[in-house]
Amino acid sequence: MDAIRTEALTKDYRVGFWRPRRYLALDSLTLHVRQGEVFGFLGPNGAGKTTTLKLLMQLIYPSSGRAEILGRPVGDVSVKRRLGYLAENPYFYDYLTAEELLQYFAGLFGYSAVERRRRVSQLLDEVGIGAERRLQLRRFSKGMLQRVGIAQAVINDPDVVFFDEPMSGLDPLGRREIRELILRLRDRGCTVFFSSHVLSDAETLCSRVAILAGGRLAAAGDLSEMLAFQARAWELVVTGLSDTVLEKVTTSGQVVRATPLGAQRYALELPLSAAPDRLVTNLVAHGAQLVSLNPIRETLEDFFVRQTGAAPRDRGLEPVAR
Amino acid sequence: MSVIGHVAVNVFKESVRDKVLYNLVGFATLLIVVSYLLGQLTAGQDVKIIKDLGLAAIATFGLLIAVFIGIGLVWKEVERRSIYSLLSKPMRRDEFILGKYVGLALTLFVNVAIMTAAFYVVLAYMDTQFPDAVRASWPAPATDPGMLRAIALIFFELLLVTAIALFFSTFSSPFLSAALTVGLWVIGHFNRDLRNFEAVVKSRTAAYLARGLYYVLPNFSAFDIKTQVVHALPVPASYVVSTAAYALVYMALLLAAAVAIFSRRDFK
Amino acid sequence: MNARLAALFIVLMGAVVGLQALHETSGGPPASTTANMLYVRSPEAMTRFALSYDALLADLYWIRAVQHYGRTKLSSDPNKQYDLLYPLLDLTTSLDPRFNVAYAFGSIFLAEPPPGGPGRPDLAVALLEKGLRAQPLKWEFAQSIGFVHYWWRQNYDEAAAWFARAAAFPNAPSWMGPLAATTLAQGGRRESSRMLWRQVARDAEGEWFRNEAVRRLWQLDAMDEIDRLRRVLALFQRSVGRPASGWEDLRRAGYLRGTPVDPTGAPYRLQSGIVSLDPASPLNPLPTEPARLR
Repeated sequence: MDAIRTEALTKDYRVGFWRPRRYLALDSLTLHVRQGEVFGFLGPNGAGKTTTLKLLMQLIYPSSGRAEILGRPVGDVSVKRRLGYLAENPYFYDYLTAEELLQYFAGLFGYSAVERRRRVSQLLDEVGIGAERRLQLRRFSKGMLQRVGIAQAVINDPDVVFFDEPMSGLDPLGRREIRELILRLRDRGCTVFFSSHVLSDAETLCSRVAILAGGRLAAAGDLSEMLAFQARAWELVVTGLSDTVLEKVTTSGQVVRATPLGAQRYALELPLSAAPDRLVTNLVAHGAQLVSLNPIRETLEDFFVRQTGAAPRDRGLEPVAR
Repeated sequence: MSVIGHVAVNVFKESVRDKVLYNLVGFATLLIVVSYLLGQLTAGQDVKIIKDLGLAAIATFGLLIAVFIGIGLVWKEVERRSIYSLLSKPMRRDEFILGKYVGLALTLFVNVAIMTAAFYVVLAYMDTQFPDAVRASWPAPATDPGMLRAIALIFFELLLVTAIALFFSTFSSPFLSAALTVGLWVIGHFNRDLRNFEAVVKSRTAAYLARGLYYVLPNFSAFDIKTQVVHALPVPASYVVSTAAYALVYMALLLAAAVAIFSRRDFK
Repeated sequence: MNARLAALFIVLMGAVVGLQALHETSGGPPASTTANMLYVRSPEAMTRFALSYDALLADLYWIRAVQHYGRTKLSSDPNKQYDLLYPLLDLTTSLDPRFNVAYAFGSIFLAEPPPGGPGRPDLAVALLEKGLRAQPLKWEFAQSIGFVHYWWRQNYDEAAAWFARAAAFPNAPSWMGPLAATTLAQGGRRESSRMLWRQVARDAEGEWFRNEAVRRLWQLDAMDEIDRLRRVLALFQRSVGRPASGWEDLRRAGYLRGTPVDPTGAPYRLQSGIVSLDPASPLNPLPTEPARLR
């Protein structure tokens, strides 16, 4: 049994009051997500990611097609008992404290008062909310709210969780913490379905991804098999690189291009075929210091432009920001 | 505790945190100031005026709470998108609507109960300010428990107003909901005139239309027995019961409609 | 909408209508005395409490007065009382002494006998005299007092005296003097009554005043017409030798062109030789005429 299954899931809206036009937010999406995997749902803003998640949460109803979670139709209360959901830029009742909010949500799952307290305090520790848990949420920063949002999404030890842009609004430290949390959930056997418009989020976490563009499924499969995202080169940033050494590595063909960034500081582009470790050892031996080493690859946006020829189209309208 | 209970308690918590109960201070101040002023201006009708004013104030403060919280109950959750997280929890949309309703009903009940208590305290004090001869001339004692019948019907009226506000708020903006709710409330108080409309107009169509509206629109004038209880006129228990039953049935109708609309809504 | 939901709505709506019908058959809420309650009856006290809102309060009391009058007039209570009409008008005119329409309203409706009014010409005169104290140059008030004496009390000497007083006002119209003279000479004649009501109709500030005056004028027309029909009936009996059994007899004999109707269009009734208004005619009841006129 798949954790999530959609068959030709379609959603269109009628927009405009006087001359209603059809706006196809999601166009026959067929997707299968296996149990226990971390699934990345990628696409640029306005691609239909949030629409899909709302359809899976039954916050909106499909125009046609079907969706199932854990083998049951979406919206089924017995399924909701086993899932968690973090909305994009979540908002919670600002008159409640973090603790009260989670208590309230835990109550909806029918936990006893003792069990509620235990879970809430444990979860708040886990997402790194300390003494602030007694403050009303109106005083929380965006990053703190995101942590509360994640805590509420996993309050029931869900079998499947849905995160809509879980990294947005977080600083690098926060992003790392979320990544760790997602991996912990995976290790527990939980299926994680998350949307993002940043490819690197997916790379570090996912086994499989689906890419959405203009309301349509553009690609789906194992990340490693998706050639589009394989690195085409390496980028090496170094300091303390003398001109003579630079000259040598450039002429030998080990470096394709060198971009000066400052005094003796360069960004070097290496061909993918060359193993970068040898060059790094070599440069360091000549007194240069390594700053960073990164693969160079297409961004999602590049991919979409190539895949669809242009920005999202064919939906009757420009997508509206949501 | 059921899902409805949890949602209801949260509504109550919100109204307390949003300082809705401050209106009780306003109510108590109004009663005390007016009873003091009446003592100064003595018109011989002091206790009657306090009774009239107190009952009217309970109804008015309750109405303000019912309308202004009622219209925001659902709308605020949708507008601020807090409903996204809530509806992903194991709850059905009808449980959400009913929980919201029960929560506001609970808030109103606490409010009306506290106002009633304050009202009787002021009346008990007024009672000590008059000689026995004057007291004997009143149609009813100052702290006549019979007034609770009027307060009970006020509470049922508020339950109906809340249901109307909630119904409108499932599909329209707060401003429009407030206007529609208050509009229905006003029309509902002219219900008796709708009944007699055919005596005033010549057109048969208009008369039939008025008669139809008389049966279909909420009859708020039926809930108003304030004058009767103040004058200690007989109000049969059957009247109170049938009017309360009317409120409950109408309420069920509105809530069913609210659920029907809300269950089909897309939250864009 | 699925069928079960539709059925639920129908059942609940039916219950709502049923309970409302039950409510109606059981006579609605128990009778209350709302209409007959006035907290403050003292104009002095009210003027003091009114602060800067006296004009607005006057408007409110005026509305209450009109509503009280209208509601009482429409009620089916056999013992209806217009007991708040005077206090309300008194409060209105105390809060705003230039509320002229309130005086005019009082002068016509306070004096009207039950069931159309409280039948208190004394209060009508009191209200107008109060108006005259507030606005001593208003000849209309003096004329209205004369009118009350004329129409409701049939006291033509007193009426003529008030008309003469009104004529002496600096800005009184020129017909006021002749009116006083006519009243003194032939008080109670329909012609002078007609003159008075025409005056009311001409000066009327509100539709219902005008309608009232028009109704009175029609009553006078109907009385003339009834007199004429009586003469025709007498003529018929003299020439034919038997009383007419119906209007048809008179028409065939050429005395009438058709069934005679009053100014509202209701046919006159002819029953055992006596002419009267149709009982459904809005002109009922015709004013009583003093004996000395006949």
